Amino acid sequence: MTATTNAPATVPVAPTSPNAESKLPATAKVPSRITGPRPTTGVPFTRLIHVELRKMLDTRAGRWLLIGIGAIIAVALTIMFFNEGGEHAFGEYLQATTMPMAIILPVVGILAVTSEWSQRTGLVTFGLEPRRIRVAWAKTLAALFVGVCAFALSLVLAGIAHQSAITFRGITGDWSVDGLALLGAGGYVLLGIAQGVGFGMLFKNTPAAIVVYFILPTAWSILGSMVSWLADAATWLDMQHTMQPLFEGSLTGEQWAQLGTSVALWVVAPLAVGIWRLTRAEVK
Amino acid sequence: MITVERLTKRYGPFTAVDDVSFEVKPGLVTGFLGPNGAGKTTAMRVMSGLTPATSGRATVLGKPYAALPNPGRHVGLLLDASAQHAGRTGREVLTLGAILMGVGKHRVDEMVELVGLTEKEANRRVRNYSLGMRQRLGIAHALLGDPEVLILDEPANGLDPAGIRWMRDLLRGYANEGGTVLLSSHLLNEIERVADEIIVIGHGKIVAQGTKDELLAGAGCYTRSTDDDALMAALAAESLVAQRTATGDLHVDAEPIAVGRVAAANQIVLTELRGGDSRGLEEMFLDLTADAAREEVAA
Repeated sequence: MTATTNAPATVPVAPTSPNAESKLPATAKVPSRITGPRPTTGVPFTRLIHVELRKMLDTRAGRWLLIGIGAIIAVALTIMFFNEGGEHAFGEYLQATTMPMAIILPVVGILAVTSEWSQRTGLVTFGLEPRRIRVAWAKTLAALFVGVCAFALSLVLAGIAHQSAITFRGITGDWSVDGLALLGAGGYVLLGIAQGVGFGMLFKNTPAAIVVYFILPTAWSILGSMVSWLADAATWLDMQHTMQPLFEGSLTGEQWAQLGTSVALWVVAPLAVGIWRLTRAEVK
Repeated sequence: MITVERLTKRYGPFTAVDDVSFEVKPGLVTGFLGPNGAGKTTAMRVMSGLTPATSGRATVLGKPYAALPNPGRHVGLLLDASAQHAGRTGREVLTLGAILMGVGKHRVDEMVELVGLTEKEANRRVRNYSLGMRQRLGIAHALLGDPEVLILDEPANGLDPAGIRWMRDLLRGYANEGGTVLLSSHLLNEIERVADEIIVIGHGKIVAQGTKDELLAGAGCYTRSTDDDALMAALAAESLVAQRTATGDLHVDAEPIAVGRVAAANQIVLTELRGGDSRGLEEMFLDLTADAAREEVAA
């Protein structure tokens, strides 16, 4: 018995492959040179964002998450369309389209970071861009870009659903949308994503980040209802709580401060500590 | 060109890389040989800026890795063939690299063809790749940016003997064009077949380094003849020490030409005469491996 393993004597065949595996060419040929001088400037930041965006969507996990969101929205809109004769204001349709996004898109943010560790692609990612802080920002901005696109899409879908209800079900339309409510809905989606990215960087581990992301707010609410000083703290620190006035359409100065405090705790702090960790962690 | 100066990496009380210095020169294939757990991978990760050194430093092309602009166009890395997203296709993995490095998409096709992946295989998800296919994908990725330096960790793992020869030819051609190649392996015969220079590492320390010829020299030669007794006597007369080995060969502490001359002068028919193999290196290497195995048992 030795500690070493021996190289396999035969070419291993992929177990799931229906066909035999291709072989290396009989003779090796040296790859052609790329003409022109080698780059003396770093990778442009826009390129990093492009690649990070693509990475969010080119895996099966990423694609199914988006398909899942689409399916949930479709079901929600269909139910609303037939429920109560489709008699719902645009704002309600908008809620039906943004809610699923706000709940599931943070997972896209989490996976964008944790897959670098769980799938060990960080070896390649940080090998190609060793200035890791740029990768961290590219991931954050790419995830937020997905959020902005998703929110725009949810506006369009809600609009289409509402207009259809007016046209086909003869409801009296109500297109009124409060500016703050719109900000609340958009913020709900984007802050969730930013929080997801932050949690991903903080935990570097998919199950941990997802579980904590979903369990913590619920645990907080349950505890808050039982412990009085926690309930007081919740008015400043629980984002579920502090975002509520946005949807009601008016915020006092104190409520803005409460919103800001909770965002600092749940979004800014995880991102800041997460980025700090990401830039220092050993990539294995 | 890679320069490693007094590099040390400690994990708590464990020293993975212990005061290691060496140079990897352009135009040569340098083999990094050591048993599993000897510190090869850690040293390579430090060179690639993925693991911070405890002390000492490593530079690639005269700079710390992190200071290289668009490093994919200067250094090709293959640190772990399995470190790819299982849900991406091979082609997608290469495409992402090509976008980031700013080389055209045609380069992706070229690399896929270079490592002999079929169109269908390239469009299959990495989850369904064998180790050999992952290695080929990894090599394709490392070559994507037409780098000047290649750092490959166990690239021959999972390749069959024909694949190892392919790799040797590729790396040889690459080095001949002035490229710098560092590849690691825990198998002596793999390194022997591919490398010009060899660095042997064990327990985080360098135990030998030099050209392959230097490290393999001094191993004497092996011979057989129709009359071994006469040959031994004739050799002894020339004060050359010959010993019978377990396999029945005579091992002589001399260059083959010296033995040939003695045989010719004494009209002894040689049936076999060959230069010594990498026995010295092999013994040293086996000692290292045995140590590592003992430690593993103890731990």
